[in-house]
Amino acid sequence: MKKFIKAALAATALVTVTAFAAGVQAKDTIVWWDFLGGGDGVRMKSLIDEFNKEHADTVEIQATTLDWGTPFYTKVQTSAAVGQGPDIMTYHESRIPLGISTGSLSVITPEELAASGIKADDFEPANWKAAQGADGKQYAVPLDIHSIILYYNKTLLKNAGLLGDDGKPKGLDGVANWDAALAKLTANGVVGLSVPTADGGTMWRIFYTLLNQQDGVFLKDNKFLDGDNLDKAATALTEMNKWVKSGWTPKQTEYAASIALFTSGKAAFHINGVWEVPTMVDLQKKGQLFDWGAIQIPALYAHPATWADSHSFAIPNRVGNPVDAAKRKLVLDTVHWFNQHSLEWAGGGHLPAFSPVRSSDDFKNLKPNSDYSSLAATAVFDPVSTLAGVASPVYDAAGNYVLPAMNGDLDPKDAASQMRDDLQGQVK
Amino acid sequence: MAIMKSKRAELATAAVLMAPFIIIYGVLFIYPTIKMVQVSFTDAPLIGDGQFNGIDNFVRLWKDRLFSTSVWNTLYFVLLSVIPSTIIALFLAMGVNRLKGWLQSIVLACFFLPYILPVSVVYRIWAWILDKDFGIAQVLLAPFNGGTNINVFRDLPLFMPAAALLTVWWLIGFNMLLYIAGLRNISTEIYEAASLDGAGRWTQFWNITWPLIWPVTVLVLTIQLILQLKIFDQVYLFSRGGRVDATSTMVQYIYKQAFQLNHGGVGAAASLVLFLVIVIFSVLQFQLLRTRGGEK
Repeated sequence: MKKFIKAALAATALVTVTAFAAGVQAKDTIVWWDFLGGGDGVRMKSLIDEFNKEHADTVEIQATTLDWGTPFYTKVQTSAAVGQGPDIMTYHESRIPLGISTGSLSVITPEELAASGIKADDFEPANWKAAQGADGKQYAVPLDIHSIILYYNKTLLKNAGLLGDDGKPKGLDGVANWDAALAKLTANGVVGLSVPTADGGTMWRIFYTLLNQQDGVFLKDNKFLDGDNLDKAATALTEMNKWVKSGWTPKQTEYAASIALFTSGKAAFHINGVWEVPTMVDLQKKGQLFDWGAIQIPALYAHPATWADSHSFAIPNRVGNPVDAAKRKLVLDTVHWFNQHSLEWAGGGHLPAFSPVRSSDDFKNLKPNSDYSSLAATAVFDPVSTLAGVASPVYDAAGNYVLPAMNGDLDPKDAASQMRDDLQGQVK
Repeated sequence: MAIMKSKRAELATAAVLMAPFIIIYGVLFIYPTIKMVQVSFTDAPLIGDGQFNGIDNFVRLWKDRLFSTSVWNTLYFVLLSVIPSTIIALFLAMGVNRLKGWLQSIVLACFFLPYILPVSVVYRIWAWILDKDFGIAQVLLAPFNGGTNINVFRDLPLFMPAAALLTVWWLIGFNMLLYIAGLRNISTEIYEAASLDGAGRWTQFWNITWPLIWPVTVLVLTIQLILQLKIFDQVYLFSRGGRVDATSTMVQYIYKQAFQLNHGGVGAAASLVLFLVIVIFSVLQFQLLRTRGGEK
């Protein structure tokens, strides 16, 4: 027994020494967590590989991809609280208010940003501000702007006379024109528009888009859908319900099925996130997709506006074991590198947050991204609240009220007021 | 003196041998349980301590409509899953028991196969079987819905029955296995004697099989009850993105409060309620069923 323990101790010591020696020689490492498991995740992985190759002698990113949504944010929160976790992580801007309230995020000072060459002027103001707390401090640096867009089937649109000479749809602005287009396209076993009508997340994105096109305010001064905003919400819901009621949009369609309806040519339009662009691009490359395009969601009401969120980079607030100053500098340098190289990330459908890349000629030549990049200027980000953001009570409320309203299981007016009361009841 | 010494040594050995279990049980069960009770009386977030706030959390649960919905949904689900999965398992087990040799093994394996699947796989399988646009089950469902396809997991009245159906499909293999073991313990001589006396199939079942298999039934019912009161995975996966509040169950409510809303105290209070419900239900059920069986 004693011999065994001795041997075990010796082995442990040896391993420790070797590890230590290796640690001294090794280059800097950055522990990285993200939630990018989809088609865009593949692009991020190749970007990370590129970074590691370029910095082969100095820095290495050790990346782990975790489950999107509540599981990711719970893990970040629990690990940060006990001084564990990554040096850098991806974070939805819409989720930052909740991240601040749970103490998961570390403030990035203006000096640190300046030292790494990160400037607010290089980002859309709304995008940059969405990475700040109510205290005006910076908690993250945006990487992209992602939104919902209108995918369209060029052949079907052309047959209906809805395609302009530039290859883009024409005459869709305004509710009357939009409805007329959907009605016209719904014929011969084809529907006008496919939407994941069984998915609350998409419901929220469309609803918030239509609300903001009417200058509706979802949340202000801790009041949900205050005053006539309730009517605007009901207007948006009534319009969404009309698409289903009129047979232009199939009811209760699951996420994957709604994409399949479009890609199989059974729907002329499809509304979904920019992150499905790779799906279409890859299908077309294999010769399995018709001629398609994507544009910003048309202005059905007063002016264009589209829901948007943003993937950003943040440093966790590791209690008792903070990321040290040198590592923070390294991390922010890395963030800047990723923003400068975000053209590749745009291949995932996203719009680069970094304006120099977004206004570059390379990006202007990137299709279809450049066809819908105009949405960045009128993008509306989620309300700033601990109740809003990805996988938040607001998202749940979309599933609970917007979804049944659109599918005709709940009266739009009732749905709007029930949603307001539910969320208002959750305000502390 | 020598005896006392050896006794003391024995006690020491016993303590050493029991220590691993006691420590693990204490650290992983007793301590968290005590902590849960403690936290349920505070306004603690998910991580860290909170201020004592008396029975505020419990008052909040009482008033929260979502909590009562969750309780009712849980009980409804238990009703839909526990009894059917027990009865169907018994009949399937009796059927399989009549088969012989390799045929029996194959049939048994077929019924048991779903049980070894992880819940995420079960979810994927059934999500596609029942998919509104592409699911094969729509061929059978559509005629009952006026000829149009129906999204089972977004149509509220159908949600819980559908979740219960696939749960029964998923877990029935285990119940069957318990029943088959029980059925094999019943001596064939009893059946032979009964058929000599002219007892038919039904009489044999009602007077021999049912009373003799009763202890297994009690076991299956108790296991299922405890398991299904803690229903989370299937309902969570199928309701995701949908009307999550209308289909919420108790564990889902706990998850929402603690992990999504960062209300550790409320989550702990709801956990305590669920804990007590399970203790009361299972003790009551076990006692009740045992005495009933004893009377027979």
